[in-house]
Amino acid sequence: MASFILRRFGQAVIVLLVMSLLVFLGVYVIGNPIDVLISPDATQEMRLQVIRQYGLDLPIWQQYLEFLERLMRGDLGRSFVYNMPVMTLIAQRLPATLELTLIAVLFASAVGIPLGIYAGYKPNSVLAKSIMAVSILGFSVPTFWIGLMLIMVFAVQLGWLPAGGRGQTAELFGVPFSFLTADGWKHLILPALNLSLFKMSMMCRLAASGTRETMLTDTIKFARAAGISEGTILRRHVLKLISIPLVTVFGLELGSTLAFALVTETIFNWPGLGKLIVDSIMSLDRPVMVAYLMLVSALFVFINLCVDLAYAALDPRLRHGRG
Amino acid sequence: MTVEARSASSVSPAAEFWRTFRRNKVAVGALVVVLAIIVVAIFAPFIVPQDPYDLKSLVLRDARRPPGYVGSSGIVHLLGTDSQGRDLLSAIVYGLRISLQMGLLAGAIAFTIGAVVGCFAAYVGGRIEALIMRIVDIQLSFPAILLAFVVAAMLGQGKSQLILALVFAQYAYFVRTAHGAASAERQKDYVQAALSVPMSGWFVVTRHIIPNSLPPLIVVATVQVASAISLEATLSFLGVGLPPTEPSLGMLIANGFQYLLSGRYWIAIYPGVALIILIMAINLVGDQIRDQLNPRLRK
Amino acid sequence: MTHLLEVTNLRTYFQTDKGTIKSVDGISFTLERGEVMGLVGESGSGKSITGFSLIGLLDANGSIQPGSSIRFNGRELVGLNERELRKIRGKEISMVFQDPMMTLNPVVKIIDQIGMAIRAHEQVSDAEVRRRAVEALRKVQIVDPENKVDQYPHEFSGGMRQRVAIAIALLHRPQLVIADEPTTALDVSVQAEILKVVKELVAEMGTSLIWVSHDLATVSSIADTIAVMRHGKIVEAGRAREVLHNPQHPYTKGLLDALPSRSQPGQLLASSATEAAGRMDFTGLGGSAIGADPDAEFVKAVGVEKIFAPKAGFLRRLGIRAGLAKEPKPVNAVKSANVTIARGEILGLVGESGSGKSTLGRILCGIYPADAGTVTVGGQPVRSEKGKLGTRVQMIFQDPFASLDPRRTIFQSVAEGPIAHGFCTRQNAREYVNRWLRAVAFDPAMADRYPHQFSGGQRQRVAIARALAMQPEVIVCDEPVASLDVSIQAQVINLLMELRRNLNITMLFISHDLSVVNHLCDRVIVMRHGEIVEQGPAQQVFTAPQHPYTKMLIDAVPKLAA
Repeated sequence: MASFILRRFGQAVIVLLVMSLLVFLGVYVIGNPIDVLISPDATQEMRLQVIRQYGLDLPIWQQYLEFLERLMRGDLGRSFVYNMPVMTLIAQRLPATLELTLIAVLFASAVGIPLGIYAGYKPNSVLAKSIMAVSILGFSVPTFWIGLMLIMVFAVQLGWLPAGGRGQTAELFGVPFSFLTADGWKHLILPALNLSLFKMSMMCRLAASGTRETMLTDTIKFARAAGISEGTILRRHVLKLISIPLVTVFGLELGSTLAFALVTETIFNWPGLGKLIVDSIMSLDRPVMVAYLMLVSALFVFINLCVDLAYAALDPRLRHGRG
Repeated sequence: MTVEARSASSVSPAAEFWRTFRRNKVAVGALVVVLAIIVVAIFAPFIVPQDPYDLKSLVLRDARRPPGYVGSSGIVHLLGTDSQGRDLLSAIVYGLRISLQMGLLAGAIAFTIGAVVGCFAAYVGGRIEALIMRIVDIQLSFPAILLAFVVAAMLGQGKSQLILALVFAQYAYFVRTAHGAASAERQKDYVQAALSVPMSGWFVVTRHIIPNSLPPLIVVATVQVASAISLEATLSFLGVGLPPTEPSLGMLIANGFQYLLSGRYWIAIYPGVALIILIMAINLVGDQIRDQLNPRLRK
Repeated sequence: MTHLLEVTNLRTYFQTDKGTIKSVDGISFTLERGEVMGLVGESGSGKSITGFSLIGLLDANGSIQPGSSIRFNGRELVGLNERELRKIRGKEISMVFQDPMMTLNPVVKIIDQIGMAIRAHEQVSDAEVRRRAVEALRKVQIVDPENKVDQYPHEFSGGMRQRVAIAIALLHRPQLVIADEPTTALDVSVQAEILKVVKELVAEMGTSLIWVSHDLATVSSIADTIAVMRHGKIVEAGRAREVLHNPQHPYTKGLLDALPSRSQPGQLLASSATEAAGRMDFTGLGGSAIGADPDAEFVKAVGVEKIFAPKAGFLRRLGIRAGLAKEPKPVNAVKSANVTIARGEILGLVGESGSGKSTLGRILCGIYPADAGTVTVGGQPVRSEKGKLGTRVQMIFQDPFASLDPRRTIFQSVAEGPIAHGFCTRQNAREYVNRWLRAVAFDPAMADRYPHQFSGGQRQRVAIARALAMQPEVIVCDEPVASLDVSIQAQVINLLMELRRNLNITMLFISHDLSVVNHLCDRVIVMRHGEIVEQGPAQQVFTAPQHPYTKMLIDAVPKLAA
């Protein structure tokens, strides 16, 4: 087990190194590195000074090492547009995205998984067929389109909920969160719902197919032959068997929801990371792009690491097999 | 049962497959819809009432009119007009054409890369296989939308740039599926039998492994084409997709967005409905194929 | 007193795409308390469905037809609702399934699986669950049950898992246990142990048992009465001794006659399938083996070694060096094996699963490289660094459903090799292939169909034709009859004997089934854990085995009661 964790950890470090190299090559080398570091309207002297200061006259591998070293120190440069250190900027935006994403994924799981288990358990019932049909719809409709519809119906036509912004926030550990105030919740509902519908369909379909396959196995038949009740079979056999793929998906979806947040945040004008990256790409704010990519990579690697560990904890075959 | 011959004539696995597929009426309906949309998209110029991108035929007086409005040139605008007086139905048909083109092209390229790389990795094995699959796994841990968005933003607007971004975001799914299917096939006795003859590696890969790895790849292909179309619309909506001269459905929706709040719903809604019908029909077909191929559901 | 079980006109039908399948079609029988009944039949006879019908566990598309009756202790079971059936299942009637690897839940501890089964019918404390779980495992003779209950199924071998399944089935001392092919997936030696455990427990508890099996020999060693099923009907039933020694129905006779253990080694087996398939036609066949000079060491393997060592990745190697990870354990599949086969001889290679017999077979065929040692046929090596050399050695595989490419027609499958190696041209391939198909009694008119349109026996004959069409001098047969019904098995064995006689083909016949090997082979090699423990002429090995392992194997084989 220890070696398994260690191995995963080692792989995570390697992945991060590779990502840093890719981002370095992609943004620093393919583009003009000067543009990343200073604004385009700087004078010639300033340019030369920066080139020397950042060692851009050095060989490329040395530059990469220095890039890495700055990364370690958390120095990611300054944003041209907001004119502040990128780290500060990201730290400001991150809580909004995290809160939106977490609520969306939790909601998607809480609704999608039970529906899916039901649909897989009684695949021929009318309700199950309806669930599966709606989930295909949810799976097919692009997130941005659902966002537009939600705004049109609930914000424009009915006027029940606000169309954008974060609303009132309250501080927790010195970080502002919307979910702590009633107004914040009002602002959260639509974007969170928007973000979760696609995931909900995914989770539902996965739980459904997992349950359906499991119900046909000899394991379940044998349990039934022992007279075990359907409720116990579902809770103690089926749920345990399908939880392994579901946890994997939960982790991966957490990551992908984080990415999809950029669509939702744009539509609902939610001041999170997603909106920040869309804006900075539009305004070619490269230091922000670099920081965002590195941060997101680190986040994904971290999530994957957690998923692997959860996997090992859930599946005894893995736990013992890799001693 | 020792039934000597199960049926009177030769029935290929594909024919058998179609026989089962045909029984799901919803899936057949969806397939008809997909084919109909493809036909409409191909023959778009001959079908639509107005060439939506011939600026000479546009009249500003006809702009933002509701569905059913009869335009100044006598055309009945069944779905209304957009902000430049363009017939929305015509714009949607042209938009479908571009969306389909993007989805199918990106899907086909990603499919080819995936099938070749995946089968190759499974066949050679060893370190090369491990390396390829490691890269693919890492890429798969990043969501497609993020990859596509970053690549599209870096490359700038344009059809080929967008296709490149979509392929980059999706090829890994094909590689993993092809690799999984091919390594499963490689273990099977019929491949071992061919190798024991011995048949050449090339023959075994092209005649045995690839044809038998195709079914799961086709399932992934349907899902990925649908998701490529959705991705393209999303990117265009965000403004990093196609240029305004190639208006896909996503851009039509983006253009209609601002009028949504003022009650002119049709400009954004109808292109969206067209998009959803297309994606949903593809997904329904894919879903049936997947169920049919799932050995764990077969009894 | 009434019968324990009285089945009258039981009909179970399945609705499928291809119409109604009458899996069980009007069977009647009775079972007394403490009686052990063997329910015997070939695949598709409806014997397993009968078992599932009794306990009320049918797949969604199957149903017991009106007019059927299952009276258990005088109580009618047909028509009971799920709730009432559940009260009976596990408590009064329980079931053991075929594949122990599939029945236990891999992610639930043994104690919890047993606990669920106990609590399905009783309210008991955790301590009581533990006490009874340990007790149950001890009953099925699992060593160290106190610790074993806290383990997961994957820490158990197949035989031990089947013991656990049996323990669960017997938890509530049911009056009837239905065992559906419970030893089929297990090795001979394990099968013998399970049979012994079940026999003892059933006798001790006075439980009635329905033992469903395709294997007459296994059934004869445990059953008091036997019912033979075919096409959903019982064709013959009676006391075991009567049925086995004085069968009345021609089908039962045919089944018995097809058993290799009942006839003289080397003689053709009586097989209705052979007659049904028609004559083997050997006209116009070639091959350099015909009329070749005798050669006592025609196939010669010297010091063959094969080790499967998992390769350690970069990080793992670092870990090993730092003492954090263990060295991957190499699996020694074959240890310094020396084998010779004379030209025209059939050599049997016997062993249980994991003995390395398949690996050795594939090395002799040239599919796998050996890590050490040489393999030659007629003095020439079968494999170079780059791959297999020549086509003199061909192979036949176990599972006829997997050994033909599902997407190629029979003709394409048989023709690809001969075309590639110049035995025929694309133009005369049709005629060439037909000759070999006729040799295995396969109608060439059906050559354009796909494998899924044929039965297992037909496919296995096609697989043999494919090997033959390469005009080999040696054929390696890897368990070619293991997944076939008795009558089809007899047909394939007959075919192999005819081929040797007519085409002078040398064979290596790999099998776990000692009676088949005894019947077919001239000489035998016994393998265990990658090592050859004994070899010699078949008759000598089977009548006077030298190695204790061989003795144990031969003793473990269930024999038809004399």
